[in-house]
Amino acid sequence: MRTLWWKIMALALVLAASITALRTPLAPAIVYASGGPFAPGGNSASVIGYRTHFMAAPVRVFLENGGQFVEASSTVVADDTHLTARFEVPVGLREDMSDLVVVAPGHGAMRLFAAFYNPEKGTGAVDGVTDAPQQGERAGFVFPNRNILYETIRNLNFHVPMWFTMMLLQTISFVFSIKVLGSGRWLDDRAAVQAVNASLLFAILGLITGSIWARATWSGWWTSDAKLNGAAVTVLIYLAYLVLRGSVTDLAKRARLAAIYNIFAYVLMLLFIMALPRMTASLHPGSGGNPAFSQYDLDDSLRPVFYAAVLGWMGIGTWIFNLQYRLARIENRHDEERLR
Amino acid sequence: MMRNGSARLLLLLALLPAWTAAHAQGEPDWLVDTLYGSGKINTVITVVSVILLGIGLWLFRLDRRIARMEKRTK
Amino acid sequence: MRSEVLQLLRLEVALDLRQRAAWGGMLLYVVSAMYVCHLAVSDSLSRSTWNAIFWIILLFAAFNALARSFQREDQGRQLYLYTMAHPRSVVLARALYGSITMLALSLLSLLFYLLFLGSDPMGDASMGPFVASVALGGVGFAAVLTLISAIAARAGNGIGLMAILGFPIVLPMLLAVMRASQLALDGSGWSGTGYYFLAIGALDVVTLTLAWLLFPYLWRD
Repeated sequence: MRTLWWKIMALALVLAASITALRTPLAPAIVYASGGPFAPGGNSASVIGYRTHFMAAPVRVFLENGGQFVEASSTVVADDTHLTARFEVPVGLREDMSDLVVVAPGHGAMRLFAAFYNPEKGTGAVDGVTDAPQQGERAGFVFPNRNILYETIRNLNFHVPMWFTMMLLQTISFVFSIKVLGSGRWLDDRAAVQAVNASLLFAILGLITGSIWARATWSGWWTSDAKLNGAAVTVLIYLAYLVLRGSVTDLAKRARLAAIYNIFAYVLMLLFIMALPRMTASLHPGSGGNPAFSQYDLDDSLRPVFYAAVLGWMGIGTWIFNLQYRLARIENRHDEERLR
Repeated sequence: MMRNGSARLLLLLALLPAWTAAHAQGEPDWLVDTLYGSGKINTVITVVSVILLGIGLWLFRLDRRIARMEKRTK
Repeated sequence: MRSEVLQLLRLEVALDLRQRAAWGGMLLYVVSAMYVCHLAVSDSLSRSTWNAIFWIILLFAAFNALARSFQREDQGRQLYLYTMAHPRSVVLARALYGSITMLALSLLSLLFYLLFLGSDPMGDASMGPFVASVALGGVGFAAVLTLISAIAARAGNGIGLMAILGFPIVLPMLLAVMRASQLALDGSGWSGTGYYFLAIGALDVVTLTLAWLLFPYLWRD
């Protein structure tokens, strides 16, 4: 464990992933549209984009309602991020809510979901609808852009690796706890508790960063959510583990009791985390009916960066555990010598 | 002791620009200020700072433990 | 092995019959908790609140009941027991006996709960799944808390440590039974609640297996 290469690897991965995560531009997107409700007839809407270049290219603006497209009759571009569009809304659109779709060369098709309310529902419009617009290519390596996430999508590469690292360290602790029961060596017990300590550092970081992110996107520091409940239970379990250790003075007994509790708790925690998403709703992507990040990320630009960040942070976590463990070992040897 | 104190000071100095930048926009609501402003990039900055701070605090703890160990072995 | 478990089970029953006051104490705890709720709640409860209060009371009752499982006997008798019988038989017997206790306690609690807080929220409940979830919940708490009770007793620390160790671990079970009973209260039948019963059963099997595997290490000195 004192070899250097994997530490350098971990640092390089975290560095590369962090720089990419902070430097990669966001895809242009429509973030806001005012106007409506759109009753049949003439209606205008003002549209705000983020990182868009409306001035540079011809922009086409559409409404989509139940698969039917309505193109704007006139579009006035104010600047790169602001435009107003006027629609002749036909009679008989199918759905309550219409999406706004803006197509521009180099931007791809930018969509704002459920942008306008359509008060008079029908069975489908006959006149005034057009074909689906060509999607168009999106230029360059960009991150996906969602109207509540904006730049915070970059947090994916900082917040989520904390949880992966925590899980890895807890798995390490679990393995050492099994070894404690087999061998009864105090060294394995030291390793188990230091892995738990390190995992709690990452759990706390994950909780705080998640809380900040949640406040900025879901406007609550804490929401009732499957992933959050899982995280809370995990932290409680390992705090209880430390309390248990604190309340036993006999070293051999402490090692065994702590190992038994750790094994029991770890397995139940895994089951809990696997079963939770089916039991509670979640705001997180990929669970509770929400699309996973990869699903609305068309060109998978997030994926390699994310995996690099996860691997790198796992390495850093292991390194932290390794340092704590080695120090604990020295402390313990010292104590033993003094007792002799 | 001296080394510890100066390291802490350095950390504070390093954080100062981030703090002032977050408060420079003059919006009344501190949340708009810190988390929502300019495409919510400040949220990302806060998150990254929290992680660095957390690792830093952990380093301080380890530093203290090693110092204690050094004193004992002397 | 099986006869040993049965013998130990008989021993448990005999011991418990000798301490009838403990049973009375448990029931009194449940009844007083429910009476306090009856006094505290003046309006009629919504279904989910009714459900939640019931499970919270039952959870605490389970902690009370299961804490006794290993803490009622002194070290000497424990040592005697473990020289006479295999520790795995002991933990299985204890878990079994705890389950029987909790089964009775949870069904009795339900009766008292209906008495004190009214049965209005059960208006369009499907009774089969609801009673099953209450019964299985009690059994599940017993399965999870038996090993925890043993650990807490071994650590020489009373019910306080057991609560700290037990709460996060019992949460999956609590969540599953609460969902199942809530769904049953809302009127969905066996097909709607089936997944939760499956989850509860799986949790029971896993916890009992773990207890069976780990318990011998608890008593090795």
